[in-house]
Amino acid sequence: MPKVRRSRKPPPDGWELIEPTLEELEQKMREAETEPHEGKRITESLWPIFKIHHQKTRYIYDLFYRRKAISRELYDYCLKEKIADGNLIAKWKKSGYENLCCLRCIQTRDTNFGTNCICRVPKCKLEEGRIVECVHCGCRGCSG
Amino acid sequence: MSMSKTTNTYNRQNWEDAEFPILCQTCLGDNPYVRMIKERFGKECKICTRPFTIFRWCPGARMRFKKTEICQTCARLKNVCQTCLLDLEYGLPIQVRDAALKVADNMPQSDVNKEYYIQNIDAQLQDGDGTEAAGAVGRSLAANEMLSKLARTAPYYKRNRPHICSFWVKGECKRGEECPYRHDKPNEPDDPLCEQNIKDRYYGRNDPVAEKIMKRAASLPTLEPPEDRNITTLYVGNLPEEITEPELRDQFYQFGEIRSIALVPRQQCAFVQYTKRNAAELAAERTFNKLVIQGRKVSIKWAHSQAKQGTAAKTDRRFDLAGIPPPSAKPNDYFNLRQEQINVMPAGMKLHQLPSNLVPASAYQMYGQPTYAAPYGNASSTAASSSGVSLDSISIPPPPGQVPYPSQDASRMGAVKK
Repeated sequence: MPKVRRSRKPPPDGWELIEPTLEELEQKMREAETEPHEGKRITESLWPIFKIHHQKTRYIYDLFYRRKAISRELYDYCLKEKIADGNLIAKWKKSGYENLCCLRCIQTRDTNFGTNCICRVPKCKLEEGRIVECVHCGCRGCSG
Repeated sequence: MSMSKTTNTYNRQNWEDAEFPILCQTCLGDNPYVRMIKERFGKECKICTRPFTIFRWCPGARMRFKKTEICQTCARLKNVCQTCLLDLEYGLPIQVRDAALKVADNMPQSDVNKEYYIQNIDAQLQDGDGTEAAGAVGRSLAANEMLSKLARTAPYYKRNRPHICSFWVKGECKRGEECPYRHDKPNEPDDPLCEQNIKDRYYGRNDPVAEKIMKRAASLPTLEPPEDRNITTLYVGNLPEEITEPELRDQFYQFGEIRSIALVPRQQCAFVQYTKRNAAELAAERTFNKLVIQGRKVSIKWAHSQAKQGTAAKTDRRFDLAGIPPPSAKPNDYFNLRQEQINVMPAGMKLHQLPSNLVPASAYQMYGQPTYAAPYGNASSTAASSSGVSLDSISIPPPPGQVPYPSQDASRMGAVKK
């Protein structure tokens, strides 16, 4: 997340095409940050942050890898400026992790039994009718 | 002088470090592969307030997480589950168990006395292998009839369900389907079962659940032996379908010598006749509401008096059976001989007025047995052996109440389930 533009270099070509969307997401992030936490559970308060972060990263990832609409330079610039999360994108490139919600959900060290988050369990493996909402990011299942 | 916990070990209240919890089957849940989290000195025991090792686990799908609430010394003192505080053997509250076993457990309840007592008990338990109960309960643990009657035969997993969502009760739960708590109607606020607390339950005083169970125990049905001393036959109902006679004999021969066993597979019942009356009484007492065969609680009753059955039919015959034609065919020579001789079976009381496929020939003999004035178990065996019909094919229940005419009795036709 770029707090300040540190690099003096002007952004590569095509930046003006993606800038409005990124601005919009940035604005949403601001709102989520300043939102009051009253009436929310402790875990719930961080969920919108994770969600918008995922959205922003997904936008860049889609533009470069799926739609091939932006140049390599612009993509690298976004990663360098931390507009998109390179680590998350790195996971998305692996099979089985195509829709991963956040990196916390695959951090096995954080769990009691060294397991992934419940949202990483495929729907077919869950018991019938179980509705999942993970604690870390509010994901409702990001694996099959 | 140093007073830190590490240096001064003399007479220090010792903290409990356990490897494995003491739990009942219900609390563990139905999943054999339970994962538990262990935390050393995670909480203080809710009875003796010493730090102890807590265990936390999920007892199956859609259940709430449970954890151990009292320390193992306290649990072993009363022989209870560390989580639910119910007796490990019977799954009953401490108050009920102590009342039934007549255990008077004078545990000190003031702080210093309690500490001293626990310390002594701890030292005692060190000597044992850690499987037996301590204290007054440990000394008087013996099988108790009333307790085994009151106890559940299967674990009650409903106890592990999530708690009721307090937000939902107020009408403001926003989590909807995702809510891990139960969206259910709460108990009435004036329900006495709402007022439970762990200390009272542990010390076995004003426990509303125990009171409820004791009330139920007081109103438990008992089996009165019939006045007629000649009756030595017990009716055994609700048998498993695939039970065999030797299996049944295995259950019943321990109470006395058995004269005969008549198994009625279609009705899932049997008649066990003893040679002596006191053997039958003993069997009735020991098995009534207690005997479980292949996981089914068997119902035990005294068999009806045969003589009474016969006379009742005889007296009623004059009124009810007047217009019935005499039997056209005699299915069994042996039986008819008896009938003519003793004249107890009413003339119209013939089963061939029923569809023949519903009534086996041997059933007819069952009804003729009142003539013997002896319990039908014996009589039917002689009758069956003489007519070449095996006992197993008898599929008619014992003579029912005062019905003048067998076909009028709905239960005989299987229309009414007993």
